[in-house]
Amino acid sequence: MKQRIAGFLFDWLVGAYLAVMLHRIVWHELLLGIEGPTSSGASSAAFIAGIPDWLVYGAVGLALASAASISKVSLALLVQGKLERRMWQRTAALHVASLVLSLTFITGWVVTKISLVDMFSGERLRAAGRIFSSLLQPEFAILPQALSAIVETVYLAFMATVLALPASFVLAFLSARNLMRGNVWTRATYTILRALTNFTRSIEPLVWAVIFTVWVKVGPFPGMLALMVHTISSLAKQYSEQIEDIDPGPMEAIASTGARPLQIVWFGVVPQVFIPFLSFTIYRWDINVRMATVIGLVGGGGIGTMLNQYQMLAQWREEGLIVLVIALVVWAMDYISARIREALA
Amino acid sequence: MLLDIRSLSKTYPNGTQALKSVSFTVERGEFVAVIGLSGSGKSTLLRCINRLIEPTSGTILFEGHDVTHIKGEALRRYRQRIGMIFQQFNLIGQASVLKNVLMGALGSVSTIDSILGRFPQSLHEMAMRNLQIVGIADKASVRADSLSGGQQQRVAIARALMQEPQLLLADEPVASLDPATSHSVMRYLGYINRQLGTTIICNLHFLSLVREYATRAIALRNGEIVFDGSPSEITEEWFRHIYGEDAVEVEIR
Repeated sequence: MKQRIAGFLFDWLVGAYLAVMLHRIVWHELLLGIEGPTSSGASSAAFIAGIPDWLVYGAVGLALASAASISKVSLALLVQGKLERRMWQRTAALHVASLVLSLTFITGWVVTKISLVDMFSGERLRAAGRIFSSLLQPEFAILPQALSAIVETVYLAFMATVLALPASFVLAFLSARNLMRGNVWTRATYTILRALTNFTRSIEPLVWAVIFTVWVKVGPFPGMLALMVHTISSLAKQYSEQIEDIDPGPMEAIASTGARPLQIVWFGVVPQVFIPFLSFTIYRWDINVRMATVIGLVGGGGIGTMLNQYQMLAQWREEGLIVLVIALVVWAMDYISARIREALA
Repeated sequence: MLLDIRSLSKTYPNGTQALKSVSFTVERGEFVAVIGLSGSGKSTLLRCINRLIEPTSGTILFEGHDVTHIKGEALRRYRQRIGMIFQQFNLIGQASVLKNVLMGALGSVSTIDSILGRFPQSLHEMAMRNLQIVGIADKASVRADSLSGGQQQRVAIARALMQEPQLLLADEPVASLDPATSHSVMRYLGYINRQLGTTIICNLHFLSLVREYATRAIALRNGEIVFDGSPSEITEEWFRHIYGEDAVEVEIR
């Protein structure tokens, strides 16, 4: 029953989505040639007078979903694997699926305003050529500044990683399902912490950086804070997945000696996860160096900020040198961290 | 009487009835072999005794005390008196042999001291003595996972001896070992039983090992005791009753 309701809702959503694409994109933009943003105001009049668009889309979706549930030509049934190979409904549903996919592609093309004319007109090509040739002649006069900026970035990433470590370590054990099965309280802690780390992790470090540049003064410090917050939740997740993967045997053996809970974790779990933790941590530092560069663009300090400054001044030769320095350092970090992780494995 | 199990039952959340009203008593100094097919409830029974698994109903009396529902510190003190070894040895492979043996004494060392690695000298000496008992004192400083299976099981025995246990539970201790190594491990268990007076309850697959080492056999079939007596009393008829009509006895020499 639950599955059938979910399936009907799924078909409804897909139906409404089809209606939106057919009306907004195919009818308005392609057939009538009205530009995107202006169409929303005019569309009610063009469609059915007095009824808001979303209601019409919903109604069309509902009609399509009902038709799907009667005829069994349903994408939901297809996804749930309930349409067998020789049923005609399966073939029909596959056709509907390919229609949805092609319309999505057309919509995507319109929405992203892909324009080959813009890309390959003579004037545009000349502008791009100017920038590329400047980028390829890096201005070495600013090398000392660029080096000190990238060192700042590497340290920023290092501090973000190191300061995140203790919190990630503790959080990892508290959000590992196999360790938190004990009672209602531990299970509640597990659920809450999982939700919390998933939430903070889903916010990009770039957004954290914007928040922290408002909170503390612009510079490397807010950049470090942004990376640290993201690192805590990312490492906590990777660590806890590693903990959930351990061999439970040693834990059972330690428990059977009459050890206390903390001793069971320290002796039965930590030795098994220590090396993988180290490997994740080094990899995270490597990722953080790359992220720190991007965070610098919004005022998080380091080489990113420098890159942003020269871009504003349109000094493309200086920009070229900065890009070169970033590429070299990121490549070197990547290489070193890969070698260390190899040695650990 | 060391252990008194009364109508012990265990039903898992998925509905499997692993133990159905199992009752028996164990006297000090016995070497009890628990036999039966895989899935007959042997492992569940052992883990209920030291409460790694919570029984659904029934009573466990240890030295006359009801331990069926004890919790926290009382449960830990109870577990300290019962050693356990496992089919997969369950050592910490990344740690040294000596450290693994010391872990048997975690219950008597404070959390802080144990995490900082401060085990008293007396425990170090005891660990070395126990390694000598199982004949691998020379391996004390090597990583546990560099040892062979038989050696790892002997380290596990030494770890259990750190608890100076009244009772030693052995869950298929030789099922992952080759025949020659199996006998070596079983001989150490026999030595501990006779020389140190430790009571042993041991899950075993091979009847030949049961006849050679155990003083008593308990057979489980579908979670119920179907035989309780001397290993020599297990005739061919009993054997088929325990293991099913198609079973053929295989010997391990």
